[in-house]
Amino acid sequence: MIEYLLFATFVGLLFHGIHRKVIARAQGRPGPPIWQEILHVLKFSFKETWIPKTASQTLFVAVVFVAIGIWGAALYLLLSGGSLLLLFGIYLIHKIVEHGMGLSSGSPYGKFGAIRSVISAASELPLLATVVAIYFFTHSLSIADIAAYQQVHGPLLVIAFPAAAAMYLVILSKMHYGPFSIIEAKEIVSGNMTEHFGVWRAGLEVGYALKTYVLLYAFVLLFIGQLPLALTLLLMLLILVSLSFVCAVTPMLSPYDTVTIQTLVTGALVVYIIVLGVVMG
Amino acid sequence: MFNLPTTNIGGQELFVLEFGDIVNYFSPYTAVLFVFALLFTALAIVSRPERQVDIAFGGDAYYAKEVDPNLLRFQRFMAIACGLATLGAMVSGDVFNFTLFASMVGITNIGIVAAYRNRHVLNAAFQYGIVAMLATVPLFGGAAIVLASTGTLSMWELFTDGVAVPLIAKAFLVLGVMGEGMAPFYVAKAEITRAQGAPFILMVHVSSLLLFLRVIEIVISM
Repeated sequence: MIEYLLFATFVGLLFHGIHRKVIARAQGRPGPPIWQEILHVLKFSFKETWIPKTASQTLFVAVVFVAIGIWGAALYLLLSGGSLLLLFGIYLIHKIVEHGMGLSSGSPYGKFGAIRSVISAASELPLLATVVAIYFFTHSLSIADIAAYQQVHGPLLVIAFPAAAAMYLVILSKMHYGPFSIIEAKEIVSGNMTEHFGVWRAGLEVGYALKTYVLLYAFVLLFIGQLPLALTLLLMLLILVSLSFVCAVTPMLSPYDTVTIQTLVTGALVVYIIVLGVVMG
Repeated sequence: MFNLPTTNIGGQELFVLEFGDIVNYFSPYTAVLFVFALLFTALAIVSRPERQVDIAFGGDAYYAKEVDPNLLRFQRFMAIACGLATLGAMVSGDVFNFTLFASMVGITNIGIVAAYRNRHVLNAAFQYGIVAMLATVPLFGGAAIVLASTGTLSMWELFTDGVAVPLIAKAFLVLGVMGEGMAPFYVAKAEITRAQGAPFILMVHVSSLLLFLRVIEIVISM
């Protein structure tokens, strides 16, 4: 498991680098090399680190370990075929990490980021609707059962396309430099991450790399099925590149617009689920 | 002796805790939620609050607010009470107990910020209090409909195939929990975040999210 965790971290950081590169190329800029995020983590790991004097010190440090812990656990969950509901739970706990990260420092910019993370809680609703839609077809929330269902009936991407689209929006909501990245917008410096620097930032980057890997892997596993690792990685890369293009051509939305869009998508999915309920009895 | 009927949702039960005819249970799902609640309650116990830095407009000055020891003690007490209520809700095997714990979470959430002397925070706490109180109507109403239509509130019975819970009862339970602080009702809580005491304010959000996760498991299983 440890070696897979390291592998996922490495691939996640590489994906972040590719994400930045694709955005830059789509915008006509050269962009950084794709291994830039790996270099960032190495650099931050050896920089001088301290905790701001005004911070809630225990919480300031704890959120970094919680971020790594929950996404490490999420990876284990996917590999062991555990409950999809638990993955949803981890996604929600990530919201607490974002929130705690911003509030714990005492910085006004961190606080603004934390408040925005409360506002952006609407991004969980499409994921919940996705979970319910998947349950309609598979009658199970075990990831292993969902993968087995797809081996018999074909990919859920085809059978339950609206649910896949909602999950795609969920992943887009968590991508850096995207239309929904309001918590780390530059008008509030780096938002909730403003005061986390040095080894704390390196830890957060590791947690975020695992998060990107887990969300992309979950999409492939839940909507396409269990595939060989190389093919899974290729599909994850393709999804990532498509997300990068969306991020490159879409301006950052205002906080309330993000809520509106996510709520509308959830509403559309609820209608889809009701129709499914009527059609499938 | 006990067999959880819905192992394909939260996994098989790992441990049961009997209080007479009320049987709380730990499945992989509820156990993880319990651990999350325990972790953030422990953080509320051991952490000191941050000193918020405010910018003085009209100049380049800034100042750090002091921590009031009396406020700190009260906030910590309410945060721990909130954590205990959340822990109870996570492993409850009885719908009525779950709704009781959920309403206690709503009350303690207001308590965490109610002592903070800031007009915006108190206004937000007041509005959130109204939403949370209103939400108890569908919350307990949902539990009442469950009891009236099935004759039991035990999840061990309700999760079996032979018991059909009306859709309206499930919808009321979800609506009630959403009123305790989930989207879209959380807008009443946004200004609460202005209050000092990050480890305690965090419990407001942790408890709401964990309650929501638990109610989803309950209504899908029923």
